[in-house]
Amino acid sequence: MAQVELKQVRKTYPNGAEAIFGVDMKIDDGELIVFVGPSGCGKSTLLRMVAGLESVTSGEILIGDRLINDVSPSERDVAMVFQNYALYPHMSVRGNMSYGLKNRKMPADEIERRIVDAAKMLKIDQFLDRQPNQLSGGQRQRVAMGRAIVRNPQVFLFDEPLSNLDAKLRVQMRIEIKRLQRRMNVTSIYVTHDQTEAMTLADRLAVINEGQVEQMGAPMELYSNPRTLFVASFIGAPQINLIPVSFDGTHLVNGDLKLAGFSDLPQGTELVLGVRPDVLRVDAGGQFGMNVDLVEQHGGENLIYGSLGGTTTDAGEPLEICLKAAQAMLPAIDDQLTLGFDPDTAFIFRKDTGERLK
Amino acid sequence: MHRSLTQRLFAHAVLLAGVLFLIVPVLLVFAASTQPTSVLVAEGLSLVPGRHGLENFRTILTLQAGFTDQIIATDMLRNSMIVATGIGVATTGLSLLAAYGLVMFRLPPAGAFFWITLATLLLPLESRFITTFQITSYLGLINTHTGMILPAVMVALGTLFFRQLFLSFPGEYIEAARLDGAGPVRFFVDFILPLSRERGGAVFVVSFMIGWNQYLWPLMISTDERHYTLVRGIRLIGQESGPGMALVVLTILPPLLLVILFQRWFLRALEETRDAF
Ligand SMILES: Nc1ncnc2c1ncn2[C@@H]1O[C@H](COP(=O)(O)OP(=O)(O)OP(=O)(O)O)[C@@H](O)[C@H]1O
Ligand SMILES: [Mg+2]
Repeated sequence: MAQVELKQVRKTYPNGAEAIFGVDMKIDDGELIVFVGPSGCGKSTLLRMVAGLESVTSGEILIGDRLINDVSPSERDVAMVFQNYALYPHMSVRGNMSYGLKNRKMPADEIERRIVDAAKMLKIDQFLDRQPNQLSGGQRQRVAMGRAIVRNPQVFLFDEPLSNLDAKLRVQMRIEIKRLQRRMNVTSIYVTHDQTEAMTLADRLAVINEGQVEQMGAPMELYSNPRTLFVASFIGAPQINLIPVSFDGTHLVNGDLKLAGFSDLPQGTELVLGVRPDVLRVDAGGQFGMNVDLVEQHGGENLIYGSLGGTTTDAGEPLEICLKAAQAMLPAIDDQLTLGFDPDTAFIFRKDTGERLK
Repeated sequence: MHRSLTQRLFAHAVLLAGVLFLIVPVLLVFAASTQPTSVLVAEGLSLVPGRHGLENFRTILTLQAGFTDQIIATDMLRNSMIVATGIGVATTGLSLLAAYGLVMFRLPPAGAFFWITLATLLLPLESRFITTFQITSYLGLINTHTGMILPAVMVALGTLFFRQLFLSFPGEYIEAARLDGAGPVRFFVDFILPLSRERGGAVFVVSFMIGWNQYLWPLMISTDERHYTLVRGIRLIGQESGPGMALVVLTILPPLLLVILFQRWFLRALEETRDAF
């Protein structure tokens, strides 16, 4: 068990592609950190640098107090779970789990004890003598986890381990991973581009954008207090409503839409108003109208989509917005709703820098 | 897809014709090996077997031919075995190592090395007999098995075969193995060897057969009759005779057995190759 520290870590690939631009991060002992961000932002690169599968161009990576930049992957005391499971096709489940331990010259009885323990924990004990191609995707995933667990490493690394599973299994495994991690209390880094997975798993989240950590913090902190437009738009499902506006001294304006209740904002710069679907309310005294064009019933709640009255986008269409409402709220298509929100729950960003102003 | 009866009949007819085309000469040889020389001379080849088979085989297994009367078929069989096995083992082993180096350690010149290796396919042994002979002679390998084996080793083809296989291995389990502490040697032993068994079997069979059927090169570098191979010996005994035909059968049998034995691996390797392209 150990803490992990990244100091000004950079990565430039041999072909000149720059993937990571100076990341600083401190991960506490036993913490589960999730790297989340869009495709190509460098999540895997960063994780693989911790694993030792990619070299560190500059900066320092420490596990515990040990500088591991130049330590070989097998000596870093980390175990990794890959997206495609990466099981050894010619070895049984037992062989897959024992391989790394045998290479470490662990006594056979100790290996067997660990395998049996991990297999019980993951409910794969009846498959120990099967070949990987005789297992379902979910079972393979468990074996891959088992292979990491038996190593009893200082750090677990996960690179989108659930993205090849179907939706239901993904939720189930997500919960199981969280439980296992709690129980084993091993420092973990988990990469995903799925924001729900990120929110639900993480002790702390690192939102990565174009090779930099945009913001790091507890999931709810990022949700309710995003520092940038990028973080606000990435965290939260359904996505936050983003309305381009300008400030005329008293109101936020977009076409015929005028919203009161804001002050102390720069005039003459383009701004973006961010309102989460769950802080919007149907409110007869509200400040804007919505023309409903789609209702998604999710069971406990409904997502109501429609166009925002009086606004236009650059393409000349009215802006689309989304409202999260209770099960009972079931408008028909083309119904007009009047909406309102508490200005304190909305965010305002500069459009050019993405910086949050309010 | 449903085909009409006539279409299916036609397809089968074509296949059958192909099979006959390939197998009739072999049957002719088998039949002829059971006829006495006199019948062969008088009536030519036929598909009817005679009763002289055992005698023919006894003749070639004990016959002493050549200038020195020292060549017997069992010696030639032994020579053929040594040379073909040598070529098979060397081809398989060397190309396995070459492909492993080229694919797994991506040094910048790896691509160039691969194409240079492959380009040697354009220079078959026949096109470089004279220089190869000089070198072989310089190394003192005339009239040795080593001299027959080394120039005929087919590393280019084997390397291409193995390279295709290794490129199809997902990078992730190579990385998983690195995290599990498998260095280059251990990875070779624990992964490359078991995972290339079938491909290796196929490369071995192909190079064994090509080595077995070599004619010109062994002819050039073995003046000593004790180094004659079976394929060469056929000329010596004479194909027109019953015993000659028996010798032909003896020559066909080992590669045939090998193919039948390795058939499963062989087909699977070919399928993998098809899938890889
Ligand atoms: N081996 C490589 N050589 C050169 N560039 C690379 C290499 N691997 C990744 N990159 C580049 O580095 C950047 C980050 O890639 P990375 O794989 O870390 O993204 P990611 O966040 O994991 O994306 P995804 O969610 O799609 O997996 C990308 O622009 C990618 O093109
Ligand atoms: Mg990735």
